[in-house]
Amino acid sequence: MSSNNQTSFITKYIFSTDHKVIAKQFMVMGTFFLFFGGAMAMLIRWQLAYPEQKVPWWLLGFIFENDGGIITPDIYNQLFTMHGTIMIFWAITPLLIGTFGNFLIPLQIGTHDMAFPKLNMLSFWTMFLASLVLLSSYILPNGAASGGWTSYPPLSSPSGGIPGLGQTIWTLALILMGVSTMMGAINYISTVVRLRARGMDYFKMPLSIWGLFLASILNSVFVPVIAAGLILLLLDQTIGTEFFLAGRLASGDPGDPLLFQHVFWIFGHPEVYILILPVWGIVSDLLSVFSRKPAYGYKVTAIAMSTVVALSSLVWGHHMYTTGMSPLLGKSFMFLTLLISIPSSMFFLNWLGTLWRGSLHFDTPMLFSIGVIWVFGIGGLTGLYNATVTADIYLHDTMFVVGHFHYTLAASVMLGSFAAIYYWFPCMFGIKLDSMLGKIHFWGSFISLNYVFFNMMAVGYAGQHRRIYNPSEYSFLKHLSGINEWITIFSFILGAFQALFLINIIWSLFKNEKSEKNPWHATTLEWTVEYPIPHGNFIHEPIVFNGPHEYSRPDILDRDWLGQDEKEDDFKHG
Amino acid sequence: MKTLYNKIKSKHILYSGIWFQDLPKDVSLDGYRIDNVISYTDLIISIYFGIVVALLAYFIYQYRASKGHKATYDHGDKRKNVLVTGGLGLLVFFSVDAVIETMAFKDLREAFWNFPKGENVVRIEVMPQQYAWNFCYPGPDNEFGTDDDIIPTQNQMHVPVNTPIVIQLASWDVIHSFYLPNFRVKQDAVPGMITPLWFQAKETGVYDIACAELCGNGHYRMKGYLTVETKEDYQSWLNENSVQETESDEWDDWDDDDDDSGVPENWSWVWEALK
Repeated sequence: MSSNNQTSFITKYIFSTDHKVIAKQFMVMGTFFLFFGGAMAMLIRWQLAYPEQKVPWWLLGFIFENDGGIITPDIYNQLFTMHGTIMIFWAITPLLIGTFGNFLIPLQIGTHDMAFPKLNMLSFWTMFLASLVLLSSYILPNGAASGGWTSYPPLSSPSGGIPGLGQTIWTLALILMGVSTMMGAINYISTVVRLRARGMDYFKMPLSIWGLFLASILNSVFVPVIAAGLILLLLDQTIGTEFFLAGRLASGDPGDPLLFQHVFWIFGHPEVYILILPVWGIVSDLLSVFSRKPAYGYKVTAIAMSTVVALSSLVWGHHMYTTGMSPLLGKSFMFLTLLISIPSSMFFLNWLGTLWRGSLHFDTPMLFSIGVIWVFGIGGLTGLYNATVTADIYLHDTMFVVGHFHYTLAASVMLGSFAAIYYWFPCMFGIKLDSMLGKIHFWGSFISLNYVFFNMMAVGYAGQHRRIYNPSEYSFLKHLSGINEWITIFSFILGAFQALFLINIIWSLFKNEKSEKNPWHATTLEWTVEYPIPHGNFIHEPIVFNGPHEYSRPDILDRDWLGQDEKEDDFKHG
Repeated sequence: MKTLYNKIKSKHILYSGIWFQDLPKDVSLDGYRIDNVISYTDLIISIYFGIVVALLAYFIYQYRASKGHKATYDHGDKRKNVLVTGGLGLLVFFSVDAVIETMAFKDLREAFWNFPKGENVVRIEVMPQQYAWNFCYPGPDNEFGTDDDIIPTQNQMHVPVNTPIVIQLASWDVIHSFYLPNFRVKQDAVPGMITPLWFQAKETGVYDIACAELCGNGHYRMKGYLTVETKEDYQSWLNENSVQETESDEWDDWDDDDDDSGVPENWSWVWEALK
């Protein structure tokens, strides 16, 4: 407790510089926005299945009373815009990078806190401010932004015809979010590079840290790019510059709408990996813990993940095949994109290799991790269609793309975050979550999300394009009304099962059954500290002797694991 | 809840929750190429995913701890292991990625980027606006940007069957995307840019034109109709439209707060030579 002089309530729980408190703050924020964004998803689905029908009370229909109880086209556009924005930047990012980046990095590399604790606090409160700015757009007379989470100009500039200030507030909120993310990224990178405990080589770090570290590198490189683009967009929106405006037809104003798309996707594609990298790392570790077996090909996985990171910065053009950019570029981007399948199939195979000849324990985090293998398999493979220039001509901007990225982002990241929460909850709060409720939560979510996202791809395959308010307007989509209703019904089921998660947390906190120390018999350092973990974490700085996955060593007596800070000689025969 | 229950009970939807859908009917000359690359991808990824699922199921069954299976201490980091993983990665790359890449590049070279030339080609300028499609035909002099350009009623596009159609796209206001599901055509219309595309219809009929890029609140109803007809019918339709100047009702109400920005009656541009 030496470094803990934060004793008052405010410095301990609100303006705290303790990385564990900040992690919990991010967790509360991320969970709030996860449910907020999820509710919007269900409203979107309501409209797609039952176009222009009265929203029922259990979907909070009273919100739409002014419009006769139905979702109007402008509200619909706001819904999917804010759903995308919130889920990506305000739910996934805080849950994975904010929460687990903050919580795990110092504990797993064996140090007292982040390299810059005050910057860390500032990062959270900047994000909090960004949230307030974003939410404030709901009380504007014309409502929130409605230009899509991509907000391409000219639609998102004043000449695009979206009334009100929603779009400007959106840009401002995203810039603030970017500032917060950059502060976080610099902090995480510095911590990993400078503060690893003695003996903690890069290749002794848990793969979770690899994932978070690589995601932070991408954040620090590419968030400034989008921030610059957004600042130019903000200038277009407020003081009348024309960076992204090209005038009517080909009439020769100097701006260029495609410039924004390039800037957006130079960031946007790495962003996909920023979100998924922590999950890859966490799943690699958890599979090892619950198979009681070292992670298969640890170094290969770490290097493959790094290779994906490098390649991810060279493939943004595959989001723009249909924009009319040079054919030569299209070919190059397709080739570079397809290259990613080599490293990703390598670490994917390593996941299977970890299970092979293991001793599999199907605790809740393990179920969620195996779920990630399944959904990421589908998500990764369906990316092939979108990487193909010709197939993408047909599938671009259809529900197929929506289904695909919900598999890779929503499904993988959701299941991965839940795996992490169920796994580290005892470490964070000293309490184990109920395992029966957890398993029901898993099976309910897993089955319904597969139904929802797979069928989104199916309707996209049949031609249904994205972001349309009412698919029944088109004769080629008429026969899809049945399947659209089913997707909606299963999305409600998916939503309902998430209530179990909240119930589980509240119930477990209420029961307050103390977890034993290191309940999963894991080897990594976060399980070696005293509970509740004091500010400053370790009483003595740990010394690391072993890699992160020493399970089932035949030469160790009595137990099937060897902690990273334990000397093997202490556990051997006489 | 009750309303939802009644909806499920009362409608046909119980029979339509199936997982697989067909692509819309293809009536274009080269759409089969896109369908083929999609079918190949369907097949090959189903095989690979099937293998993954089979292995996963086997491992879960065979190595479960409840059966008492003890884990083997193996880091999988020997030269042999790495070579196997790398080899499988390359196998995937060459059996999936390399094949679809070859197919796609061949199709681009032979069809989608191989613009037809010659007398037979019908040229059309397409200019979307919020939320309608404008079309322009060159008229008797076969030149754009002249007085005899034919601008038919909004949202109505006619083309002759079995004739290559070359289109130049530009946008009046925001980004739109010209989407013909039955022809496997999709191309963004970006302000400040003229973008070419081409296709050829195989069957007569009326097909949907949709906007695939979010363009505002009316995005969903930015719908047009593409009529594919015989050369004779097409010619008489052209003649009709060139004689009487069509006054559309929609023409005026698309933008009523700023009247000097409305689409002018004669909006065509000089046809851009292919680069």
